[in-house]
Amino acid sequence: MPNGIWVLVEHQDGKVKKISLELLSAGIEFSKKTGQEVGAVLLGSGLEEAVNSLTPYADKIYWINDTLFIPYTSEAYLAGIVPLVKEHQPSILLGGATSTGKDLFPRLAMHLQTGYVPDCTGLSIEENGKLTALRPLFGGKVFAEVGFSEVRPQMATVRNNVFLIKEHPDRSAQIISITPSMDSSLLKKKVVGFEKAEGTKLDITEADIVVAAGRGIKAPEHFKLIEDLADVLNASVGTTRATVDEGWRDLKDQIGKSGKNISAKLYMAFGISGAIHHVLGIGTCKTVVAVDTDPNALIFNYADYGIVGDLFQIVPALTEELKKVLAADR
Amino acid sequence: MEIYVLVKQVPDPEAIVKVKSDSELEIENKYFTNFFDEIAVEAGLKLKEKFGGKVTVLTLDHRRVDALRRGISMGADEAVQITDPALEGSDPFAVARTLSAYLQNKPFDLIFTGRQAMDDDAGIVGPAVAECLGIPHIHSIIGLEVDAQKKEARVVREVENGKEVLICPLPALFTCQKGLHSPRIPLVMNVMKAMKAQIKKVDLASLGLSPTEVGAQASTIKIQKYLPPPKRPPVKIIKEDFPENVKTLIKLLREEAKVI
Ligand SMILES: Cc1cc2nc3c(=O)[nH]c(=O)nc-3n(C[C@H](O)[C@H](O)[C@H](O)COP(=O)(O)OP(=O)(O)OC[C@H]3O[C@@H](n4cnc5c(N)ncnc54)[C@H](O)[C@@H]3O)c2cc1C
Repeated sequence: MPNGIWVLVEHQDGKVKKISLELLSAGIEFSKKTGQEVGAVLLGSGLEEAVNSLTPYADKIYWINDTLFIPYTSEAYLAGIVPLVKEHQPSILLGGATSTGKDLFPRLAMHLQTGYVPDCTGLSIEENGKLTALRPLFGGKVFAEVGFSEVRPQMATVRNNVFLIKEHPDRSAQIISITPSMDSSLLKKKVVGFEKAEGTKLDITEADIVVAAGRGIKAPEHFKLIEDLADVLNASVGTTRATVDEGWRDLKDQIGKSGKNISAKLYMAFGISGAIHHVLGIGTCKTVVAVDTDPNALIFNYADYGIVGDLFQIVPALTEELKKVLAADR
Repeated sequence: MEIYVLVKQVPDPEAIVKVKSDSELEIENKYFTNFFDEIAVEAGLKLKEKFGGKVTVLTLDHRRVDALRRGISMGADEAVQITDPALEGSDPFAVARTLSAYLQNKPFDLIFTGRQAMDDDAGIVGPAVAECLGIPHIHSIIGLEVDAQKKEARVVREVENGKEVLICPLPALFTCQKGLHSPRIPLVMNVMKAMKAQIKKVDLASLGLSPTEVGAQASTIKIQKYLPPPKRPPVKIIKEDFPENVKTLIKLLREEAKVI
C-alpha cells in the first residue's frame, strides 16, 4: 500500500478553511480505493479548536506548533513541512489553489525535487496510488490530464468547490503534536502589516455564489443593487476589467484572464458582454446566469440561463422575490 | 541596481486553441508578450529610473524572441535568449533549473517575472527559480517600494481576505500581478530600434547543463491527454415578460439547477 495522502490545511482566525475540508474529504474517498492513510498537516500555534474540528476528516493530524507560522511565509512553512515530509514520505500532498498554495507549492516541489500540478479542477487515483490531475490550460480553452513520474510526493493544488465536504464520524484522527526546532534567523521575510478587505464577504474564489456586474451598470453607485442581491444570497460580488479600469471596483474582485478564476456553484452576470478574457475566468462555475439588454451578447453562449432585459429592472425584482422565497424556506 | 526580468511570448488570450489529438494542440499563430511579464518589465524600469543600473530581459524559448524585443522597446538594456533543442518538452521545473543556471553567478538585486504565463497558467517558474537560487520570493505582488540603501523591499501581496505588507531583504524574486503598474506603451521609434537590438544567445553547454537534465525525460509531470473543455448545455433563454421571467429564473435555479 502506498504511503499517505496528505493535505496542507489552511486556517484563518483559528478556523479551518473550507478548501482544506474539501481536499480531506476527497482524500478519504481516495483512501477507500487505495487503503492509504489520510493526513492533515497544519502549522501554527493556538490551533486547538482547528485541530479538534479536523478529527472526522483524517486518520492522522500533524500539528506543527510554533508561533512563527502565523502569518504565513514560505520560508517558515518550508522549514516546518520539509522535515516532516522527508520523515514520513507521503505519496500525495495536496493544497488549495489559494494565495498560500500558489506561493508555497511551486517552491516546496522544487525543494523536494518532485512533481507539482497547479490549479487543478479534478483529481483521480488508481488503486496503486497513482494520481492523475485535471487542469485547465490557456485559461480553460483546453484541459489536460497530467500524471507524475516516479517522484513522490505527487503534489497538486486544487480550486475551491471541486470536491464536496463530507464528514466521516467513524474516523477519529490521531493528533500528533510537533514542536519544530525553528531557526528564526533563516526567516528573511517579515509580514509587517495587514489591510483587511472591507466587509465580511468571502473572496470571490472562495464563495459558493458570485454575483457580478460589468460596464452595463453604468455608474459605481449602482453596484448597491448588486450588493443587495449578494446579501440575500450570501454571495460575493465580482466584476469585469472594464469597471476595475474605470476605478469603480477593486481589482481583487475582477474575474477573468488578468483577474481571478472562480469556480462558484452559481455565477450571475449582469450587464457583462462576455469578452473571452472575462469568460475564461468562469469556465468551471457550475451554473451561470446572464442578464443583458443585448440579445447577441457573447455572455449568453456561456450561460445556462439567460434573460434579455434591463438589469435595472431585473436585479431589484430578483432581490425582492428571493427575499420572499428564501424567507418562506425558514 | 541590477535587475533581471523573466519574460515569455505566449498565445494571445484571443487566439484559438483547440485539441488536435490526445497529445497535440492546435494553437492559432497570434502571440503577445505575457501580460504579467510586461508588468514585471515595467517594475524593473521604474526602479532603474529611480536608482540607476540595468534591466536585462531573459527568456527561455527556442523559437520566439518577441518578448525580448518588447522588453527592449519598453526600455530594457539587454536581452538574453536561452535556446537549445534539448530544452523542448521541459516541464516548469526544468525551465527553472535552466534559468537559474544562467542567473546563478550574476550580481542581481532583483528578479521580476509575471504572476503566471497565459499559456499553461502554471505560475511555477518564478518561485522555483527563487528556490534554486536560494533567495526569498513573494508571489503575486501589487505594491513595491525599494530601499536601495538598506537593500530591502516593502511589498504588498494580495491574499484572500485583504492585502498583506511584507518586508523582504534583497536580492529577491517577485512575481507581478495586475495593479502593480500599468506597463508603458513603447514609442514606435523604440520598437524599430528593438527590432535590430542584439540578442545574446546562450545554450545548455555554456550553462554547464547536460541535455539529460532538461527536456521531457527530466520532467516530473507529464501531460497524458489533452481534452476539450466540458461542454455546457445550450443556454435556456427565459422569454416571459417581466416580472414572470424573474420568478421563472428563481424556480429554475431552485428546482432544476438546485443551486439556491
Ligand atoms: C490582455 C487582456 C486581459 C483582459 N483581462 C480581463 C479580465 O481578466 N477580466 C475581464 O472582465 N476583462 C478582461 N479584459 C477586458 C475584456 O476584453 C472586456 O473589455 C471586458 O471584459 C468588458 O467588460 P464588460 O463586459 O463589463 O463591458 P462591455 O463589454 O462594455 O459590456 C457591457 C454590457 O452591458 C450590457 N448592458 C448595458 N446596459 C445594460 C442594462 N441596462 N442592463 C443589462 N445589460 C446592459 C451591454 O449590452 C453589454 O453587453 C482583458 C482584456 C485584455 C486585452
